[in-house]
Amino acid sequence: MNDEESLTELCKMIYDLDDIEKIKTKAKELLDRGVEPKRLIDAISHGLEEIGNRYESGEYFLSELIMGGIIGSEIINVLTPYLKSVETPRLGKVVIGTVKGDLHDIGKNLVVSMLRSSGFEVVDLGIDVPAQKFIDAVRKEEPEILAMSCLLTMAMDEMKRVIDELKRHSLRDKVKIIIGGRPTSLEFARRIGADAWGRDAVEAVKVAKTLLGR
Amino acid sequence: MKGRERSLKALDLNEPDRVPITELSIDLTHLEKIYGETTSVKDAFKSDVQSFSDRRIEKLRLDMKVECYRKLGFDLITCSPSPPDDYRSKRNEDGTIIDELGRILIYDARCKTWIPYRSIFNTPEDFERYEFPEAQAPGRTFAIEYVSEKVGEELLVAGVIRDPFASVWEMFTPINFVRWMYYEPRIIDEAMKRLTEFNVKIIELLVDYGAELIISTGDYCEKKGTMVPVRFFKEKVFPNLRKQVNAAHRKGVKFIKHTDGNINPILEELSGIVDGLHSLDPSAGVDIGSVKEKYGDKLVLMGNVSVDTLSRGSREDVVRETKECIRKASPGGGHILSSSNSWYTDAKLENCLTMVEIGKRYGKYPISI
Repeated sequence: MNDEESLTELCKMIYDLDDIEKIKTKAKELLDRGVEPKRLIDAISHGLEEIGNRYESGEYFLSELIMGGIIGSEIINVLTPYLKSVETPRLGKVVIGTVKGDLHDIGKNLVVSMLRSSGFEVVDLGIDVPAQKFIDAVRKEEPEILAMSCLLTMAMDEMKRVIDELKRHSLRDKVKIIIGGRPTSLEFARRIGADAWGRDAVEAVKVAKTLLGR
Repeated sequence: MKGRERSLKALDLNEPDRVPITELSIDLTHLEKIYGETTSVKDAFKSDVQSFSDRRIEKLRLDMKVECYRKLGFDLITCSPSPPDDYRSKRNEDGTIIDELGRILIYDARCKTWIPYRSIFNTPEDFERYEFPEAQAPGRTFAIEYVSEKVGEELLVAGVIRDPFASVWEMFTPINFVRWMYYEPRIIDEAMKRLTEFNVKIIELLVDYGAELIISTGDYCEKKGTMVPVRFFKEKVFPNLRKQVNAAHRKGVKFIKHTDGNINPILEELSGIVDGLHSLDPSAGVDIGSVKEKYGDKLVLMGNVSVDTLSRGSREDVVRETKECIRKASPGGGHILSSSNSWYTDAKLENCLTMVEIGKRYGKYPISI
C-alpha cells in the first residue's frame, strides 16, 4: 500500500470509528516511514469532517460525534512529538470559553474536542469567564479566533460586552469572533458584531476553518 | 374539581373539568418571587439541601414549593427522594461538591442551583471503587411524606426519579460515557443496572409514602435525535426502563418519562413501555398534535409550551403557543399542560404566569379553541 492509499485508509478508519489503538498504530506507522505530519492532519481532518457529515445527515448520533473527537484527540497526541521537529502545521489558534454568568460547558467542551482533533490549537478558558479574562487571553495568546458560548439567555448580553471591550482595547480587528449556544442565532451574532455563528459543534469547526480560509 | 382528582382523570386518559397544569420543577429564584420575600425564604437560601441533610432547611423549601404550587393553582406537585438522614456531601476546596452519584456539582448563584460540572470517575478503576448509595437509607422518604401530608387531597403528588441512562451520562461525563460505551461497556451496563435497582426501590418507597404517579427525569435525546444510537436504547436502556415502569405498575401508579430533544426516532418503542411522555420538545421539532393523533389513546401527554418562548418570547407569543398546545393536545383528555422542560431561571416569570393564565382560561372542557 503506498502512502496515499494508507492515508485514505487512515481517514476511513477514523470515520468508521475503528478501534482507537489500531488507528494510532496506523498513524504511527505512517509517521515512522516518513510521511509528513501535515498529510496525516489532513487525513484526520477529512475523517472527522465525514463523521460530522454523517451526524448532520442523521446517520451518526451525538455519541459518535463525541467518539470522533476522542479519536481525533488521541491521534493528535501521537502526532505531537513529530510536530515539534517540523514546522507546526496547526490550522490556527482558538481561545474559547463560556461567558460570565453561565456555568454550562457540555456543548463548549465538545467544540473544544472537535477543534483540537481537527488541528486547531485551543486555549480553553473554562466557564463563567469575565470579559477581562477574554481580553487578557486575546492579548497574551494572540489567537486567530475567539469563541464564546452560553446556554442561558440571560448570559447573552455578556457576549456583546466582551466584543465591546475588545473594541475599547483596540483588539477587535486582531481576532475573528465565533459565538454559539442554545439561545444564540446568526441574527444575534450579526447584531452584536460577531463574525460568525456555529449552530453546533460540527458547524463551529466548519465556520472556524472558513473564517481562516482553510 | 380539586387538583388531585383533575390530574387522576387526565392520567386515566379522560377529560376532567379543565386541563391540569403543573411544572416538573421551578427554580428557586422564581419560587422566591412567587412566594414573596420573607425571613424564612432568606433562611432557606442560606444553604443547600444537596450538600447535606438539613431537615429544617429542606422543610422551608418544601413549604415554599407547596405554597407556590397552591398560589399558582397547579394540580400536581413533584417531589424527589430526600438525601439520607446522615448525608453530607464531600466539599472540595474550590467550592464544588460531590453528590451521592459521584457527580461534581458547581453552584450556580444566578440560578441558585447546583449543576453537574465534573466527575469523580476518571478511570474504570474509579468506578470499581465506588460504593453505590443505599436506596432504603433512613430519611429517603422525608420529603415525600412531608409533602403528601401537607397537600392531602388537594394536589396529586408525583414522585420524581432520575433515569439511569441520564444519571450515568452525567456521572461519567459525556466524553467518558462514550469512551466506555465503546471500550468498557460492562461499566456502563453495570452502572445502569445498579441505578435501575436503586430506582426500583425508590419507586416503591415513593409510592408507599404518598406518590400517585412516577415521573422519570433525565434526557434521552438532543435536538437531532437520540444521544446514542437507537440500537443502544433498544438493547440497554429500554430493558431497564421497563423494570422501573413495572415497579410503578406493581404499586398501582402510572409512569411518565421526561426527555428533551427530538424523541421521534424512539417514540414508537417508548409508547409501548411508558404511560406518558413529558416535554415533547417543540424546539427539537416534536409536534404534540402528531403525537396526540398517533398515541393519544394510550399515552398521557405532558407539555409542551416551549421554554425558548418562555425565555425569549412576548406575552402574545406565549398566549398563541399555549392556546395552540391546548387545541392540539387537550381534546379527549390525557393532557397535562406544562412547559417543555421547567421554569428555570432563564424563563421570564411573567411569561410562565401567562401560560398558567391561558391554560386556566382556555383549558376548560369541552375545549373550544
